[in-house]
Order: sequence, then C-alpha cells, then structure tokens
Amino acid sequence: MNFWEKVTGSDLTREWKAFEARADVLPDDYRATWGQIVAHLFPYGDFTGRNLMPILDSALGLLEVAAADGQSVHEVLGEDIQGFCTALAGGAGARTYRDRWREQLNRNVARKLSRLGG
Amino acid sequence: MEDLTEMLKGTLEGCVLEIIGSEETYGYAITRQLNELGFADVVEGTVYTILLRLERNGLVQVTKRPSGVGPPRKFYALNDAGREELAKFWAKWQYLSSRIDRLKEGGR
Repeated sequence: MNFWEKVTGSDLTREWKAFEARADVLPDDYRATWGQIVAHLFPYGDFTGRNLMPILDSALGLLEVAAADGQSVHEVLGEDIQGFCTALAGGAGARTYRDRWREQLNRNVARKLSRLGG
Repeated sequence: MEDLTEMLKGTLEGCVLEIIGSEETYGYAITRQLNELGFADVVEGTVYTILLRLERNGLVQVTKRPSGVGPPRKFYALNDAGREELAKFWAKWQYLSSRIDRLKEGGR
C-alpha cells in the first residue's frame, strides 16, 4: 500500500472488487451466506475497514474450498453464522469502534476516580 | 449425543491439536473425524476458526497444497510449541476428568 492508496482507499476498492468477483462464481447458497458474513463482520471494521480484508479473505477462502468439495453451506457453517463471524473477527484480533469507545470511557472514569480518591 | 457443543467448547481446541498431532491434515478431514467420533454438531466453520487461532498462536505449521478441484487447501502440522501445548492439554484434561469422576462417586 503506497501513500496514494492509503489516502484514497483505492487499494480497498480494488480488493473489494476482487472479493466480489470471487464470490460471484460461488453457488447461490454460498453467495447468500457470503452476504451475511460481510454484514456480520462489518461492525468489526475499523475506520476504513482495512482490518477486515484479511478476515474476509480467509472466510471467502473457506467458502471456496468447501464449495469445491460439493458440501452444502449449511454443512460447513451450521446455523450460527454470527457466531462464526465473531470467532473469525476475534481470532484475527480485529478491534472495533466499540472497543475504542469503551477504552476511552474506562480511561476517563479511572481518571475521575483517581482524582476523587486522591 | 446432542447438545454437547457448549461442554465441548473449551476442549475442542485440544481435540483438534490431537488430530493434527497424529498426522498432517486439513479442515474438512478434521471435521469429518470429529463427526465420526460422535461429535455430530461440529461443523467445518467451527474447526476453521480454531485452526486460525492455532495458526495465530504459532502452534501449527501451515502448508498450502493444490486440492485437485478448486483453490489450494491449507494443511496443518504441529510444531514444537504445538506439541508442548498438546501435552499441557492432556495434563489439564486428566486433572479435570479425574476430579469430576471423583465428585460423581461422592468422594472428595
């Protein structure tokens, strides 16, 4: 990623197009599941969503291999798509908006408390 | 047996380590092996997230191999850290299962 790409996010657009092209050739039920995975992972994105790219790549990779095996998407992921996404995002150590807000809040509270106690 | 998933959660990682430890293998095969053992509820997605975690924690060695059809598969083998982790898992399991058995028998 060079400076231009970093500022414009043009590399992300390109990567995103590549994901879509890969998802387009999957069987229908896989494509629908891919849509759900993207939706569930979205809240784990950072400001640009850059941190999601490797996670999405590995999820798509799993779908591709499983589809090539001729398994149904239900056999592969079961009922709990959301749980799968949480595990994926957690596994990759993705940090979210929410984490940072929480941290900020904790810091502020700790500061206030120490002032009170001090 | 049904509804084992919750109880299995904490130990599944050790089970996957054990399976990888006996031979180099890939996600789908690991899932099938667990299913055949009687853990029917385990799906590939679950195993896959465990494999990613093992990889991130540096416990496995990953090799990509062509799969005949479709994209290449990731094959997993234990490295030294993985073998150490597996030994720890069995020690903990031994401890846990012996205590629970004792509890069930009414002893202390």
